[in-house]
This record gives sequence, structure tokens and C-alpha cells, in this order.
Amino acid sequence: MKKALLCLLVILFGFTVFSITPIKVEAASDSVVHVWFSQYSQENDAMIAIANQFTNETGIAVEVVPRINVFNAANDLVNNAELDDRPDIVFMQAPDIGGLIASGYLESLTAFIDEDITSRFSEVAFDAFSYNGNIYGVGYSIDTYGLLYNKDLISEDDLPTTWEEYFTTGEALTISNDEGEVIQWGILMNSRDMWFNYPIIKEFGGYYYGQFSNGDYNPYDIGLDNEGMVNYVTKVKELKAKNLVLTNKIQGESEIVSRFANGKVAMMIYGLWYASVFKQKNLNYGIASLPDQTDNTTSLALTTVQGFVVNKFTDNLAETLQFLEYILRDDNQQLLIEGGNNNAEKIGTRNPANYAVIASEYIQSDDILASLSGLNSECEPFPNIPEGTIWYNYTTTVFQSIFFGTSDDQEVDVQAKLSELVEAIRSDVALMNYQAERIDIPSWIWAVVIVALIVGIAAYLIIKKFVIKKKKTHYERISWKETFIAWLLMVPLLILLIVFYVYPIIHNIYLSLTDYSGINLRDYGLIGFANYKDIFVAGIDGLASMTVWTVVFAACVVIISFVLGTVLASVLNKVNFHVAKIYRIIFILPWVIPTVITLLMWQGLLETDNGLINQILGLIGIPNIPWLSDPFIAKISTIMVMVWFSFPYFMVIATGHLKAIPKDYFEAAKVDGASAIHIFFTITLPLVFRALIPTLIMSFIMQFNQFGVYILTQGGPASDVIGAPGATDLLITYVFNTAFNTNRYAVAAAYSVIIFVFVALFSLIAMRIGRKVSED
Amino acid sequence: MKTIRKSSRKDRAIQVLIHCLLLSLVVITLIPFAYIILMAFGKDVVGTATTIPTEYSFDNFARLFTETNFVDWIKNSIIISLITMVLSVLFVSVSVYVFSRLRFLGKRKLFNFILLVQIFPLMLSMVSIFRIFVMLGLLNDLKGLIIINATVSSAGLVLLAKGYFDTIPYELDEAAMVDGATKFQTLVKIILPLAKPMLAVVAIQSFVIAYNEYAIASTIMTQGLDGMPLAVGLQSMIVGQYGTNWSLYCAASVLGSIPMIVLFYSMQKYFIGGLTEGSVKM
Repeated sequence: MKKALLCLLVILFGFTVFSITPIKVEAASDSVVHVWFSQYSQENDAMIAIANQFTNETGIAVEVVPRINVFNAANDLVNNAELDDRPDIVFMQAPDIGGLIASGYLESLTAFIDEDITSRFSEVAFDAFSYNGNIYGVGYSIDTYGLLYNKDLISEDDLPTTWEEYFTTGEALTISNDEGEVIQWGILMNSRDMWFNYPIIKEFGGYYYGQFSNGDYNPYDIGLDNEGMVNYVTKVKELKAKNLVLTNKIQGESEIVSRFANGKVAMMIYGLWYASVFKQKNLNYGIASLPDQTDNTTSLALTTVQGFVVNKFTDNLAETLQFLEYILRDDNQQLLIEGGNNNAEKIGTRNPANYAVIASEYIQSDDILASLSGLNSECEPFPNIPEGTIWYNYTTTVFQSIFFGTSDDQEVDVQAKLSELVEAIRSDVALMNYQAERIDIPSWIWAVVIVALIVGIAAYLIIKKFVIKKKKTHYERISWKETFIAWLLMVPLLILLIVFYVYPIIHNIYLSLTDYSGINLRDYGLIGFANYKDIFVAGIDGLASMTVWTVVFAACVVIISFVLGTVLASVLNKVNFHVAKIYRIIFILPWVIPTVITLLMWQGLLETDNGLINQILGLIGIPNIPWLSDPFIAKISTIMVMVWFSFPYFMVIATGHLKAIPKDYFEAAKVDGASAIHIFFTITLPLVFRALIPTLIMSFIMQFNQFGVYILTQGGPASDVIGAPGATDLLITYVFNTAFNTNRYAVAAAYSVIIFVFVALFSLIAMRIGRKVSED
Repeated sequence: MKTIRKSSRKDRAIQVLIHCLLLSLVVITLIPFAYIILMAFGKDVVGTATTIPTEYSFDNFARLFTETNFVDWIKNSIIISLITMVLSVLFVSVSVYVFSRLRFLGKRKLFNFILLVQIFPLMLSMVSIFRIFVMLGLLNDLKGLIIINATVSSAGLVLLAKGYFDTIPYELDEAAMVDGATKFQTLVKIILPLAKPMLAVVAIQSFVIAYNEYAIASTIMTQGLDGMPLAVGLQSMIVGQYGTNWSLYCAASVLGSIPMIVLFYSMQKYFIGGLTEGSVKM
């Protein structure tokens, strides 16, 4: 058995070494057009077929690169734009282009897009990619939404034509049972959402970013605190009282979708993102235009257009544009859209922008696809300026406190809260556009710095040598031969550490001194200590309290998991060998299954109203516990969930260590008549603890920089003050959020340097104390 | 095997109590997994909101193999993790021997250095990491991922393993050397066999680190779907603006954890035993 396993391992290892060597992409020649495309295999297949056809006709080689998802496209383009195998054509979402254009990564296509092209695509395909009067891309698929309705509950003719009708029809179709519980909803909305409710917000007079007369967005003109918005809030509150709005503050779109899929909702504003589920459930539904505005204009859905852009640094622009033109031909668009919708399955992933495809048999023979494409003229592209995404960071929590009250159940003043929201967005816009003055550093400064560094290190070493020579009698004799061997053996690891750890640290320090940001991705320059000054002058609200919480969190997680792990390890050593084996396999599960999935599962399990944990507790008569929605309990839940993740690691380590503890220790203690618990606390735990001090410190650091908490709680429950840290925000997640929300990457780098220094000092002190403890 | 004699009633009561506690812990540990498995077999799952699926099928698993590059992903991950594991065990054994057995100048400084550099979260310096990979020409190459994973896990695990090596008495080395063994022979023949439990932990943990690594892989592997490791592939199923494919994701997680469970199970014999039948080294 043992031999077989060994053989298998050797074979596997041989196989793996063997199989990684041939993975070598042949050097890309300059004339190849690289296309970063889709995550869907059938869509990529269609593109590859088109590329082959193109190569046959023109002799220009094309490489189609499948991508893991479209959301990384902008980031990856920045990284790869100037490499040898740089992408020439990139498939991305229109809202991502702002920062890329500001930083100079996209080629303007204004001259390339002629009348022939504009006449064959929906207007929104170009609008979405227009920026400062130029067009930077061509839309291919229009990700929009409309009025989804259940045909069994409401007929097409009865669909509302105005928003007022939408509300009244919705109310009329809502049915409650005898106990007053709603069993069917006419309409169902999510009050915390702004994306799908945007047409309604507009109906009432609210808006996100105002536009100049030439169509450009004005990020300082924010219409979220005007009278119309207050009226909107009043209306939604009224609907909420009538149960037409989700009454649980944790639930969101997926809850509405799931009720709609189960035939309990007559109308909702949504797209086709769950069309496959509707199909599986045999739901008889349709998608129609949104109700009109009161002034009889069409309501426009907020839309993300996905399309093709061209890398500014392409080294074969002519060929690239030639292929782009080829992709945009009607028959090729047809092939791509069919591939994107999984051909015969027609899953609705792609909604064509091309008129000929819309008119084609393929689309028109499917009711849903046909009516969705009919909505293309009723779209408003999501603002593609770099400031476009700012509202994501605030509206959910703001609407939550407006509609559900503050964390201590106080009503909030609507007008004041909305003004606070607008103020927060506006100050973020200002931050994003703030450019610190660059400083010119003559190149000789670098030479001075380097010389100074070398002199400093040399001086330090000389002084140190003196000190060591003096003290040598106290220390163990150090052998020069062993020193040589030791350093020689450590060279490989040291080189790796310098390459992968020291270099990023130094590079980050450098970045923190520049104005590197979402609109300065390429041409950033040194601005001195302005970022640090910002951080220390502006400060962050509650920095001290958040640092305390982060330390408490990290310490609790490490200590509890260490003790629990060690207890388990020793208990399992005492129970029956075979039973222990089964226990061990179960207990290590949290360690071996990808954390993201289990974190999200915990999030669902700990939900207050429908969470499985509360349901189980309900069976034995315990009332609902607000696991993640009460600030204090959320802190405890967070610690417990993280302990759940890390105790298996300590259990396994401790199991190993127990083996190393000499048996005599225990026997001596037993002879003295000590109880098992006593032995554990006086012998086992301290011995394992001593051996693990560096590991515990390391785990503390890992927990200090723990990003998992953010997946679990998003830092929430949110503070009632906009932008202030939530109850479970850790130092690192909070500061990075504030910096990344406004794409100020240099500020993020400065934060990381500050946190690094802080934690390093903390760890050094802990090491010193730990060493004292273990020497005692 | 039975070392504790269950003679008295009290002992038996304690045993029962222990098992009750263990079982309740088992329940807490298993709830999320039971849920993941239910979701993996569930049809029409829309969100993680805890509505337990009503219909079950193997569809999600079938879709994994037909619609995604799951097989490539898991193959890549196993390749990366296995080699990372071997490299890490090598690095850690050598480094830990240096720290635990050699007396040399700058020992404490070197140790602190290894600890301190790791405080800086790599996850946040992706721009720098990407530059390194460009300079080394290791973009879109599994070798690159293997090297950085081996570095990350070795650096972290040296700290762990040193504590264990320090508990192996130095007298054993001296005895061996008196018998004429070289330092290398002492390491390979005496110390490493004694350190098996810790090496097993190092092996598993380095495998886990490489298997779960996401941030670096998603940044440097940009060309093609079939070159991705599993963690990145998994993420692509849930990171979506609207549609999230929970069932598919859960199915992938269930299948994806099998290699780790197998590895743990096959390594288990190296670190169990302990108190009552463990090797006594004094």
C-alpha cells in the first residue's frame, strides 16, 4: 500500500514536471492581431471561426484569447498594454473605459467609425463608448433591463403604461392570505437599490450625474438630494407599507428573482440574467417596455454596454482596425451573438446591438430575445466617466438607513441624509480629480540616496561588529564555517524573498510617493509626501477605535483557534484510534475547502430572518438572533466564523507537536496525581505554545490583514455616518476601501506602508516578549 | 490500541461527555458543507439566501464538464500544488535545519527578516508582482505560479517548522556525529525522520496555499481559459455583476476539495499517534 502510494506520487510528479515544460506559446510575431474576448466557449469558438476566415481572406494572423471574465479586462489591459503579446482588440464593459482613456490606454475610433457602421448598430452602442466627444469603442451586446411580467398573473394588454399605473396595478394584484401574509405580489421592489429603480427615481425628478449640453457628464452636478428624491422616498415608503417593497433589509434582487421564478410576483424591473432558471421552472413570462414618464417620454433603463475597444499601444493599428471592421459585419455579428447565446439554447446572455441580427430569424423566433432587443432604444448607458461607480459605495447603506432606520432603530431625516449622500459623492469626486503638484527630482539625488544608504549600512555593520566583539564572551562562540554554510544554504530562499517580498515593498513605498491613480495609471510622477500628509491631516474617523478592534479581532481569532485546536488534538489522541480518524477528517474540512465559498455560505446561514441557524434555533424555541445585523453580535459572529476557519490548522499542527512531547512529562505528572485537565493546561498547552510562538505571531499578522471578513459582512452593519467604518470593518479593509473607491492607488500604497510599519513594530515587540516567555 | 481502560463509571461518563462535545462540534463544522452539497445537487438555485433547493439532479456536475474548463483547471491546480509542495518541503527542511542546528552570525536577524517581510500583504501589491513576472518572463506560465507559491509557503512554514525542530534534542545529533555521521547524514537519517509530523503539516499547508491562491494567479494568467488554476476558474463563476451561478460553483467546490481531502487522508498517518504510542526520543 505504502509502496503503491509512493509509486503513484512519483509518477504523478514525473508527469507534472513533464507536462509543464511544453507549455510555451510560440513567440508572437508583430503582425498577429490579438483579441481578448469572452468567457463563453461557444462565443469564443464563433470568434475563432471568424478569425480563421479573416486570415484566409487577408493573410493577417489573428489570435483569439478566451478570458476568465469581462470585469478584469480594464485592469489586465493596463498591465499588458505594452508587453510583447499585448492585446490589440479588447472586449470590455463601457463603464470601465473612463480611467483608461484618461490614462491614455485607448485608441480613439472616431475616424474609423463611418456612416456604414453607425447605420447598422443601435445608437446606444456608440453613446456608451463616447467620451469627451470621441468614440472609443463599438457596442456588441446591450445588457439592459425592462419590465418582467408573469403572463399567468397579468396579461400583456393590462401592463401599466405610466408609473402611477404601475403602482396601482401592483397594489391591486397583491394578495394576502387570511393571516395577513402576502402570498402574491403585484410588484416587488428593493428599496436599497438604485440601479433598477433608476427610471422611477428619474420619474420623480432625481438623477445621478447631470449632463452638459454636449452630452458629457458633470460629476459635480448630483441630483440625489432634490425635492424629487424626497418625493421618491415618500412614495417608496408608502409602497413599503403596502408590502410592495422587500421588508427585510438584508434581502436584495436575488430574493425578488427567486419569488418571481416561483410565480409569486406579477411584475418586476429586471433583465434576463436568470433566464435559465425561469426556463427550467417553465415560467410563462415576458419582458416589456418600462412604463412611460409622466411627460409621456420613454423611461430609460440604466444599461451596461459591452463592446470592443482598441489598445492605444497596438503595434499594427491598420490590421487591427481591418479585423475590427470584419467583426462588425452583419453576418459575423450574427455568428457571435448566436455563439454567445449558446446557439440553439438561446440563453439570453447577449442582446445584440446590430440591427440585422435583431431582425434575424434567430432572435425574432424567440419571444423573450425579440422583446429584449426591442428595448435597445430605451436605454441610458451607465456613466462611463471614472467617477461613475462612486454611488455604489454609498447608496445601499444610505437607502438602508432611510427605509429601515439606523442601527438603533431611529428614523432618519430624509432630506438631511440625502444631502449627506450628495456631499459624500461630491467630496469623492473632488478627491479623484485632485492632482497634487509634482516635484522635480534631479537624477543625481538617486545617486546620493544610494551612496548614503550604503554608507549607513556599512557604518551600522562596523559598529555592530565592535559590539559583538566586546560581547563575544557572553555569547556562544559563533563558527565562521557554520556561518558560511548557513548563509550559503539560505541563499535560494533569500533570493526568492528579495524578489517576491522585498521588491514589492520597495516598489510600494515608491508608489506611495507618486500620484498614481485611476486617472494617472501611466504617467504618474513623484509628489513627495503629499499622500502621507493627506492621511495624517485628514485622518480617518475612528482610527484609534478601529485599530483596537482589529487587534482584538486578530488576537481573539488566533488565541481561540490555538486553544481549541490543541484541545481537540489532545482529546482525539485519547479516543479510539479509528473514531479519531473520522473526527479528524471532518474537522479539517474548513481548512481544505476554498474559503470564498464557505464564507458566502456562512453569510447565508447567519441571516437573521431566513438563515438556517436561526431556523434551527427556532425549533428549540430560541428567538431570532441578529447574527450579522447587530453591531456587537456581528463582531462576535465574525470572530467565531474566522475561528471556524483556522482551528483545523492548529489542530493538525498541535497533533504533530504532541507527538514530540516526551512521554516522561506526562507520566511524572500522572504519578503526582494530576488530572487530565490539569496536565493539559500545565504541560501540553505551554509546551505547544512555546514551540508555536513565531507561527502564532504570523497568524496574528494574517488575521490583522484578513480580507475574508469583508466577504462575510462587507464591513457591516454599516455605520450611520456615511463613509465611516462599519462595525466589522478591519483597519486594512476600511482604508483600502476608502482609497480604492476613489481609485487613489498611491494613497492605498501609503496606507499599506503605514500599516506595515505599525504591524512590524508590533510583531518585533511580540517576538521579544515571546522569546522571554520561552526562555523562562 | 486501547490504552485508556474504561473501568470505572466515571471514566465512561467522561468518554460520553467528550463524544457529545465532539459531535456537537462536528455538527457546527458540517452545517455549511451539508449546505454546499445540497446546493451542488440543487436545481434552480438563485442566491445563497437559505432557501433549500427543492429539486435535485446531477446537472450541475455535468455542466462543469461540458460548459467549463473544469478538468483543465483542476489539472493545473494539482500540478502547481504538487510541485509547490515538494519545493516547499525541500526549502523548509533545509532552512529549518540551518536555523535550528547551526550557530551563525546574523541568525536572529535573518529569522526576523523572514517574519517581517511577510507582514506586507502581497495581495495588495499586485502591480509590483506583475512587474516582477514581466521582468522574469514568467507571465502566463505555471512555472511562475509555482515559484511564487513555493516562496510564500516556505517563508510562512519555516517559522512553524523551526519551533518543532527545536524540540528534537540536540543530543541525538551529537550521538550521530560521535558515530561518525556527517551533518548531512544526520539531517537525512536522524532529524528528518523524527520531524515527519511537521513535514506532513508543511506538505499539506503548502499544498493548500498553492491550491487556494487566487489574487496572484488571476493577475498573471491572462491568456486563455485552459491555463487557469481552479481558484481563478471558480471565482469566474461567482464574480458577476448580476447572474451568479451558485449551484455550479458549489458543485465545483465539492469536486475541487477532493484532492485536498485525499492528500490529508494519505498524510494522516504521519502525524497521528502521539501521547500514548508516539515515538519517545529521550
